[in-house]
Amino acid sequence: MPDQSGAAPALIELDAVTKRFGDATAVDAISLAIPRGELCVLVGTSGCGKSTTLRMINRLIEHSSGQIRIDGQQIRDVDEQRLRRRIGYAIQSTGLFPHWTVARNIGLVPRLLRWPAARIAARVSELLALLGLDEDEFAGKYPHQLSGGQAQRVGVARALAADPEILLMDEPFGALDPITRESLQDELLRLQARLHKTIVFVTHDMDEALKLADRLVVMDTGRIVQQGSAAALLQAPANAFVESLLGGRDRGLKHAALTRVAERMRPLTDAQAGGPAVDTLGVSADDSLRQALSLMLWHGVDSLLVSDTQGQVVGSLSLQDAVVERNTRA
Amino acid sequence: MSNVTSDTCALPPAAPNPVLLVLTALAAGAIVGLPLVSVQPNRIMPGEGLTLWALGGPMALTGALMVLAGLTWLAWRPTRRALSAALTLVGLCLALLPWALVVVAAAQIEPGMSSARIGLGAGLWALLFLLLLMLLELINRLALSPLLRWGLLLGLGLSLLLALTGGGLDGLALMREYHGRRAAFHAALRYHLLLVSAVVGISLLLAAGLALAMRRWSGLRRGTFSVLSVLQTIPSLALFGLLLAPLAYLAVRFTWLGDLGVRGIGWAPALIALVAYSLLPMTRNAFVALDEVAADVTDAARGMGMSPAQVFWQVRLPLALPVMLEGIRITAVQAIGLAAVAALIGAGGLGTFIFQGLGQAAMDLVLLGALPIILIALLVDGLFSALAEQLRRAQGRGETAHA
Repeated sequence: MPDQSGAAPALIELDAVTKRFGDATAVDAISLAIPRGELCVLVGTSGCGKSTTLRMINRLIEHSSGQIRIDGQQIRDVDEQRLRRRIGYAIQSTGLFPHWTVARNIGLVPRLLRWPAARIAARVSELLALLGLDEDEFAGKYPHQLSGGQAQRVGVARALAADPEILLMDEPFGALDPITRESLQDELLRLQARLHKTIVFVTHDMDEALKLADRLVVMDTGRIVQQGSAAALLQAPANAFVESLLGGRDRGLKHAALTRVAERMRPLTDAQAGGPAVDTLGVSADDSLRQALSLMLWHGVDSLLVSDTQGQVVGSLSLQDAVVERNTRA
Repeated sequence: MSNVTSDTCALPPAAPNPVLLVLTALAAGAIVGLPLVSVQPNRIMPGEGLTLWALGGPMALTGALMVLAGLTWLAWRPTRRALSAALTLVGLCLALLPWALVVVAAAQIEPGMSSARIGLGAGLWALLFLLLLMLLELINRLALSPLLRWGLLLGLGLSLLLALTGGGLDGLALMREYHGRRAAFHAALRYHLLLVSAVVGISLLLAAGLALAMRRWSGLRRGTFSVLSVLQTIPSLALFGLLLAPLAYLAVRFTWLGDLGVRGIGWAPALIALVAYSLLPMTRNAFVALDEVAADVTDAARGMGMSPAQVFWQVRLPLALPVMLEGIRITAVQAIGLAAVAALIGAGGLGTFIFQGLGQAAMDLVLLGALPIILIALLVDGLFSALAEQLRRAQGRGETAHA
């Protein structure tokens, strides 16, 4: 069913989708359109219906009413096993099969799809390399021999194995320590920049949501409260609930974390530019405004030099620049 | 368990092994003070108990005590080498024990006395028991691999078998009883094994069905386990009695059942009663094993697009198998023992000799029935344990190593 409106048609469409468990309504008539290649994060407190929503997309939970369409086709019209083999699925506890090796775990969906053995083996090598796991070391290991971060990488590799267009991720990094979690988040962004999957990602961690999301969908008691880009939500939270979720008085810092220093710095004039970085306090143009502010606070200074990736000084950032957005450029 | 292993690592090698010391001391006591064998002129006459001193004089006693002194010395400074030496020594003692009996039999029974017999005395049983405990302790201390363990047991079994089949032990009362009813013994052994196999097979099928039904309809759980638990509490003789009348009636009512051999007594009530007893451990293990497979693993399996059949056969069943094997092991060992009681209602099997022997006050006949039952139970127990361990290893869950 081609979309006639002219805009890019959404790959996943939820249309007044409701899920009732007995008398309780877990998801209440939500509508959502997720375009191809978007990383959409469902965020909210526990019990808000975000996981239920995710699990309705691959029919692990059947929706009670409304329509869910993928590529214009109602998912109810597709055989559920065939539907799921087309959709990657990664969960918090990884759900790796403890009696299978890493390689066999990753090759699960391709095997279900009856790929030839040689193609499966090649795909497994490719995915291990993609996720930074050494094939000789890890292919023959069992899940209990892996650290939490390694196991989750394998979980993501398994989800990506048959190259699905859609990836569903249910708090995949929720059980990891903060440092591992951050590195896996970076990894996911790196992968996404390369693979352009359509990802539905569930989390209750707002920092994670703000960091990853192309689009944030805030849910509460089964309804969508607000959706939009991270910046848009920070700028104008729809209500007190979204505001408190966004960190209340920490909101300014969360917003600063989303802004790159390069967007606010004052470029050096040609005469000054190009010199080597002086041995004073400095930040990189790719650092966040939040990191820059933190440096200023810690060292009690009100301006920093900004260098590029080669270490060349390219500009400066004053407290004034950081705090107030300039509407007109000098 | 973990304490034991950490002890061996942490303690300096000089700390004496108290278990071995106590066992050797007790063994010395048994050799010196208790009769090792008794010599009977025939089956009825009471025997005369003979100690090692009486059998072999000061030479034999000194020799045996010197071996034990050697063990004490090794146990006093139990380094790994000392323990290995002790294991070799204990293993040799156990392997040579039947051959020592061959020598004793040859010396005590003169060629013409075909009804004279040698009974095993308290001292010999005690010595055998203590040596086996030492073997167990040493195997655990040295953490022998399953292969070595089985090799050791196989060697001991082979030595015993050679001594038995060689004819040198025919003077033993036990062997006299065996030779008196060789055909009956082999028939009973076959029958016993057949009955136990049938019980395990049938209860496994029934338990699998029950476990699957309980997983589908959770309302069945409480009722099923209550019924099975109540069955378990009925004394076996009472259960045989309860089955007598209905089965006798059925056999008369339906002649084809009678033609199959179904009677109020015999194999039919034995089979039914044994299956009834086996159902609780078998069903409980099958159910718990299937139910305890981590929910996130099966959720992932479904989420990846596996069909319900694929989830069951490729994920749930393999992960449940080690625990299910445990249920089969418990059931089999229990059935091997219980099948002896079934001899009371004419079901045959090795129990026949036990009850005949009790009736005739012939302890060696009791042993002829009891010893094979114990041996088979131990063998089956070890076999299934090893199988479950092997399976866990094959599934990469043998040890809880972490990278």
